[in-house]
Amino acid sequence: MRYQNATAYRFLAPYLLIFSIFWLWPIIDSFLISFQATRTVPWRFAPTFNWGRLIGDPAFFNALKNTLLILVIQVPVMISLAIVMAVLLNSPLLKARGLFRFAFFAPVVVGEVAYSAVFRLMFNLDYGIINKLLNSIGLPSVDWFTNVTPAMAVIMMAVTWRWAGYNAIILLAGLQSIPEDVYEAATLDRVSKVKQFFYITLPLLKPIIVFCAVLSIIGTMQLFTEPFLITERGGPGGGTETLGLLLYRQGFRSLNFGYASAIAYTMAGLAIAISLVQIWLTREPK
Amino acid sequence: MAAVTLKNVIKRFGVFEIVHGANIDIDDGEFVVFVGPSGCGKSTLLRMIAGLEDISDGEIAIGGKVVNDVEAADRGIAMVFQSYALYPHMTVEQNLSFGLRMTGNPKADTERRVKRASEILRIAELMKRRPRQLSGGQRQRVAIGRAIVREPQVFLFDEPLSNLDAELRVQMRVEISRLHKELGVTMVYVTHDQTEAMTLADRIVVLNAGNIEQIGAPLDLYDDPANRFVAGFVGSPKMNFLAAKVVGTDNSAAIVELVNHRGVRLRKPLSDALPAIGGDVVVGVRPEHFFDAGQGDCDLTLKADVAEHLGSVSYVYANSGTGGGREELIIEREASRHRANGDDLVVSIKADRSLLFDATGARIR
Repeated sequence: MRYQNATAYRFLAPYLLIFSIFWLWPIIDSFLISFQATRTVPWRFAPTFNWGRLIGDPAFFNALKNTLLILVIQVPVMISLAIVMAVLLNSPLLKARGLFRFAFFAPVVVGEVAYSAVFRLMFNLDYGIINKLLNSIGLPSVDWFTNVTPAMAVIMMAVTWRWAGYNAIILLAGLQSIPEDVYEAATLDRVSKVKQFFYITLPLLKPIIVFCAVLSIIGTMQLFTEPFLITERGGPGGGTETLGLLLYRQGFRSLNFGYASAIAYTMAGLAIAISLVQIWLTREPK
Repeated sequence: MAAVTLKNVIKRFGVFEIVHGANIDIDDGEFVVFVGPSGCGKSTLLRMIAGLEDISDGEIAIGGKVVNDVEAADRGIAMVFQSYALYPHMTVEQNLSFGLRMTGNPKADTERRVKRASEILRIAELMKRRPRQLSGGQRQRVAIGRAIVREPQVFLFDEPLSNLDAELRVQMRVEISRLHKELGVTMVYVTHDQTEAMTLADRIVVLNAGNIEQIGAPLDLYDDPANRFVAGFVGSPKMNFLAAKVVGTDNSAAIVELVNHRGVRLRKPLSDALPAIGGDVVVGVRPEHFFDAGQGDCDLTLKADVAEHLGSVSYVYANSGTGGGREELIIEREASRHRANGDDLVVSIKADRSLLFDATGARIR
C-alpha cells in the first residue's frame, strides 16, 4: 500500500512541483510581502506599515465603496436577469433554442479589449448609439464618462451584459434538472404558472442561484477590466476605481508590492466573508 | 365520484398516431386498470384523461360532462405519478396542503383534509419530514395522500408501484385496494405488470400498440381471452403457444396436428365456423393446464431443461426436442424437488383446457 502511494506521488510530482512554485509560493509570499515596507529598497519587515495604511487610506475606502456599490446593485440585477433569461431559454415555446443559448453565452467568449472598445463607442457623448437612442425618444444626451453616476452605470451595464448569459446557462442546467412531473402535479393542484415559479422553481433553483451569486461576488470583488478600459483607469477622478484597479495602481504603477498584497488579501477575505454570509443566509432548513 | 367515458379517442404526435380510437366506459366507483407493454399508449391515455395531454380527436367525459376543453385542474381528478412528483423542498404536511393553500382554500378545511389523508394512509408521524427523508413506500403514500386531499371524483394512477421493491409493491397493492374500498371513488390505474392488473382491477383494459385488445373482468380475460395477445399477456407464467395445422374437421370440431410434437393430433370442439383445412393455427395452453400422461386428450413427449421450485408449486421449462421446430414450454407441476436436467417428460393436454387462435392471432371459439 505504501509502495503504491509512493508511485502515485511520483506521478503527481510534476504537477505538485509546478503548483508549489507558481501557485502556492506566490500565495504565501504575497502574504509575507504584505507585512513588509516595499516603497523603498531594501524592503524591510514592518507588520503595521501596509495594514495600518489600509485602515486610514481614503483611496482604499473609495475603491472599497465603489466595489461594494457595484456588488450590491449589479449582482442582484444580473442574477435576476439571468433567471429570467434561463426561464425563457427553457420555455418549450422558444424556437432556435441552440442559437439563443449561443447568443447569450457569446459575450464571455468576446475579447475583453474588443468589448470594452465597443462599449466606449456605444456610450460616446456625440456619436454613440445610446445617446442617439435617448435623443430619438426626446431625452437629452448623457455625458457617460465625465460624471461618476453615469460612468458607474456604464460599468454595471457592461459587466451585466458580459456575465448575465453565462449565469443564465448555469441556471438553465439547474432548471432542466427539475422534473417535469413536479410541475404537472402542481398544475393538477390548480397552482398558477406564476405561483409555480415562485413556490417551486425558485426554491428548487436556490442552490444554483447561490452558486452563481458566489461566483459573481468573487468576480465583482476582483473587477478590473471594465473600469480600466471602459472608464479609463477608474475615471472620472477615481469615481469608478475598484479594489482590483487600486491593487494594480499600487502594485504595478507605484511598484508598492507590500501595499498591493495587503489590498489583495483584503479583497480575498471580503469575497470569502460575503460568500459565507450569502451561503449561511440561504442555507437549507434542517 | 364520477363515471369516465372515452369515445373514439385518438392521439397523434405529429404524423404518428399513438392511440387509435379508444372507446372505454368506466362506471362510477369502478377500479379500471390499463395494462399493456411499454409504448402501448396506456400512460398517454391516462394523461389525456388527466388533461396533461391534449386529445387529437374524440371525446372524453367525466361525470357526464365533456372535458376536452376543460383545464386539467378543473376536471375533478387527482393523479399519482410513477416518480411520486413530490415537492422536494416541502415537508410532507406542506406537500399535502400545497395545492389547497395556493388556491385559498379555508385553513380549517385544509387542515381537516390533510389530517384525514394522513389518517387514511397512516403517515401522521411523517408530517414534518421532507421527501428525501422518506422511504420509497412512504413517498408513495404521501403522493397518494396529496391526491386524497383534493377529494377528487376520479383517481388516476400512473404506474405508481414501479419504483418499489417486490415486497413493498405487494404491500402497497393491498393498500390501494383498501383505499378504493374505503373511498369508493372511481380509479383508473396504469401498469405494465399484469399481476397488479389482475389483483386490483374490477375491469382490465388490455392495450397493445395503441389499440384496445380487450376489456373485461380479470378472470374473464384469463379464461376467455379475445386473441393471442391478451392470452399471452394475462397470466404469469404466460400461456404456451403450440404451432399447429388444421388437418381435418368433423361436425363441430377441428382436428389439429401439433407440428413440433411429432404430429400429435388434438380434436378441438368449436362453436364458430370451422377453420379451413390446411390452415396454420396456434394452440394455447396455460402452464397449469398440462396433466399427467394419459389424463388428457393427447400426450406430448418433452425434454425438461430446468425446473424452478417455488415451494407450493414447480415450473418445468421443457422443449419439444425435435430439431428445427423446437418449441419451449412452461409447465406447472405439483411441488417437487426433482432437478429435471434433460429428463423425458410426458404431459397431456385437454381440448377444453386449450384455446385455438388463427394465424392472425384471433381466437377461434
